[in-house]
Amino acid sequence: MKLIKQWQSRICRGLMLAALASISPLSLAADKVTFQLDWLPGGDKAPLYVGIEQGFFAAENLDVKISHGRGSTDAISKIATGTADVGLSDLVALLLAKANNDVPVSAIYSVFSEAPHAFFVLSDSGIQQVKDVAGKKIATSPFTSSNVFLPLLLSVNQVPENKVRVIKTDPGALNPMLLTGNADVVISWITDTEKYRYQAKSAGKELTVLPWYDAGLAFYSTALIANDRFLAKRPEVAKRFVRAYAKAIAYTWAHPQQSGEMVHKIVPEVDASAAADTITSIKGLVYNDASSAHGLGQFDPERLATTWQWTAKAQSLDPASFDPERAINRQFLQGE
Amino acid sequence: MLPYVSFCAVGHSYTTDKGQLIPALRDVSFSINKHEFVAVVGPSGCGKSTLLRLLSGLMQPTKGQVRVFDHPVTQPRDDVGIVFQKPTLLPWLKVTDNVLFPLKHKFGRITLADRVRAADLIEMIGLTKFAKHRPDQLSGGMQQRVGIARALLLDPDILIMDEPFSALDALTREMMGFELLKIWNDAPKTVLFITHSISEAVLLADKVLVMSEGPSTLAESLDIDLPRPRSPQTMQLAAFSEYTNRIRKHIYRQSEAESDAPLQAMLA
Amino acid sequence: MNAYLKMKYGVQPLLPALCLLTLLPVWEVICRVFEVPNFVLPAPSEIAQAFYDVELMRWVEHAWATLRVALIGFALSIVISLPLAIIMVRSEFLRKTLYPLLVVVQSTPVVAIAPLLIVILGSGEAPRLVITCLITFFPLVVAATTGMLATPPELIELSKSLRAPAVKEIWQIRLPYAIPHIFSGLKVAVTLAIIGAVIAEFVAAEKGLGYLVQFSTSYFKIPQAFAALIVLSLMSLLLFKAVHWIQRFYFAWSLPKQDK
Repeated sequence: MKLIKQWQSRICRGLMLAALASISPLSLAADKVTFQLDWLPGGDKAPLYVGIEQGFFAAENLDVKISHGRGSTDAISKIATGTADVGLSDLVALLLAKANNDVPVSAIYSVFSEAPHAFFVLSDSGIQQVKDVAGKKIATSPFTSSNVFLPLLLSVNQVPENKVRVIKTDPGALNPMLLTGNADVVISWITDTEKYRYQAKSAGKELTVLPWYDAGLAFYSTALIANDRFLAKRPEVAKRFVRAYAKAIAYTWAHPQQSGEMVHKIVPEVDASAAADTITSIKGLVYNDASSAHGLGQFDPERLATTWQWTAKAQSLDPASFDPERAINRQFLQGE
Repeated sequence: MLPYVSFCAVGHSYTTDKGQLIPALRDVSFSINKHEFVAVVGPSGCGKSTLLRLLSGLMQPTKGQVRVFDHPVTQPRDDVGIVFQKPTLLPWLKVTDNVLFPLKHKFGRITLADRVRAADLIEMIGLTKFAKHRPDQLSGGMQQRVGIARALLLDPDILIMDEPFSALDALTREMMGFELLKIWNDAPKTVLFITHSISEAVLLADKVLVMSEGPSTLAESLDIDLPRPRSPQTMQLAAFSEYTNRIRKHIYRQSEAESDAPLQAMLA
Repeated sequence: MNAYLKMKYGVQPLLPALCLLTLLPVWEVICRVFEVPNFVLPAPSEIAQAFYDVELMRWVEHAWATLRVALIGFALSIVISLPLAIIMVRSEFLRKTLYPLLVVVQSTPVVAIAPLLIVILGSGEAPRLVITCLITFFPLVVAATTGMLATPPELIELSKSLRAPAVKEIWQIRLPYAIPHIFSGLKVAVTLAIIGAVIAEFVAAEKGLGYLVQFSTSYFKIPQAFAALIVLSLMSLLLFKAVHWIQRFYFAWSLPKQDK
């Protein structure tokens, strides 16, 4: 089955190359790129799989190998050490890593221009906006970057920090805690909405999601990041990669159903329709006011500065101690 | 006649982990003639095992000299066979391979002649039927017989036996003693036989060395002039009880001078 | 056939299975009657369904990935720990220097250093093997060292009195004497090897049962996670038994009497 898949993609790539060879003189050996996910595969990572299945990477003569990750910091360190060339990470995590250690990694393309952090509550809980969490028990996982912004969010929404009780637990236990009433609110990412809803439905409950971007937090989150040495040595490859990835993003949100199936095709554990639902539900992270104003993939200096200021404030760092522009490399965006 | 084995003013001390010197033997002198059967008796911890290790060349004395055929012992000798208190056979080897083990271990090669010799030894100890058995299928007495056969494999001139029958029941123990004498009679060896039992010592030996307690010295050397071959009847001879009483008295005296506890152990 | 033989060859291996079989309906009924949500405790039928829903080839692929890492890591750890044990038996000085170090290595939680290992060794198979190795080698070293040191001193004296080379003392006396200990160590280590492989997969992997467990929980597919766990424990059980069979086949003498 795997073999057939390999053959399929090989034949597909071969045809693609043959077609392209007639147009432009291309070297036959495809450039190998190792891609580092910041977490496990899923609908939110669909563009990568779409890029492979739809041949966007092959068309740019790229051979992409995918490596799964266990969080943004994990992805950043693997890319910093050169284990992978390109990958995904939360821009906030990258800013902090750059500010603290000056890791040789840069963000080259903004994927989510809104933060995915959100409160998940039961629909019948009476919690209708972020403000309402005062006096409630909030569960979160120990290492999520959301924790960094929680105090900020609370202060922006005038909820005294001592009015909420925060408990930390394994990510897999969050939703069960919410459903069993052990927590009133859980912090998770909008990218997980479908998984949470699906499980809630099986328990006969209804979930409401309160995104933090609706409550005053406006900043960049997931971005394409790359190893600086890779960017310096193989700039053409990086440029082609970004171009293919941008095409894949456009395709993904234009065809959520097919995209979900493509993820499932490469990672059979991922349910095709769940992936499709996720793609639909997170459209707002990609297509929003910010990206329509500045362009898809772009890092607007002002919004970037705000992102850093929020981050620095949340981490009690001096915002002037680091220039967020140092984490960004705009050379590889199209149209510039 | 030149003595075959001689201990000349031998003393030995162990060094503990903390650097303390623990004396184990003090000023021991005796000699053994060729093919003499010598038994050593004495309370526990009187340095009997040290004697064994010095003679086999496993240890060098800190004082004095151990000589075999007028040459000082400076390293383990090929012509010494050792039988231990416990049979300590190799549990993964069959009886034949256990008997052959010293050869295999020393030279790594076993010839047909070696196998024949092993078969003869096994026949001698009466275990031919058990040659293909593993040690855990044998009784304690049988295991110890295999141990004796193993010690005899390289046809040593000197056989050292460290309380070889002490783990056996009284009946088996007596039978094993007579069997040993028979083997010794058929193929004479110089034997140093260490034991707890006074009657066993008198019954088997030509000479009994009585050791005293720590720091151990040789208390008495007693020639046993009983007729051979020895048999259960030997024990009924008046001379037999005289010898045993003499040794016992000797140890009594010794114990009175020191403490009573070892005496209890001796009589038990 | 007497009762003992029946116990030995017939009924005994079935007892745990029988126990489980009677437990399953109870489990099922409890889940249904009390409407236990499947994210708290999935019913056996749900687990079975989840198992069935994943293609057999996928199971084979995941199980093989884990088994491969566990077995190679386990083999590596044998290759490392036996010479180490021999060195420590030969030299009291090294024993006193190395042992505390090994204890320190052993008491370092592998889970904590696993991410570092991945960063240092890359995301391939190497860090997974190292993690498995780290978690399995200690019981092996301890078992082999203890076993070799437990060799009766008389046999060592026998070897010395024969003036045999040290290699032979180790090879023909100490190592065989340590076999019962070494096999106890192997039995512990082989189950730890699976745990090691799973820990490694939790940190970085694209395949394997540990990865599937993590994947399933992160997608809230708890019955599927349970199914993967069951496959994992079956695998440990099988490996444990395999070690036992190897011992019984090649080293029958080293088993206690009632086990032969």
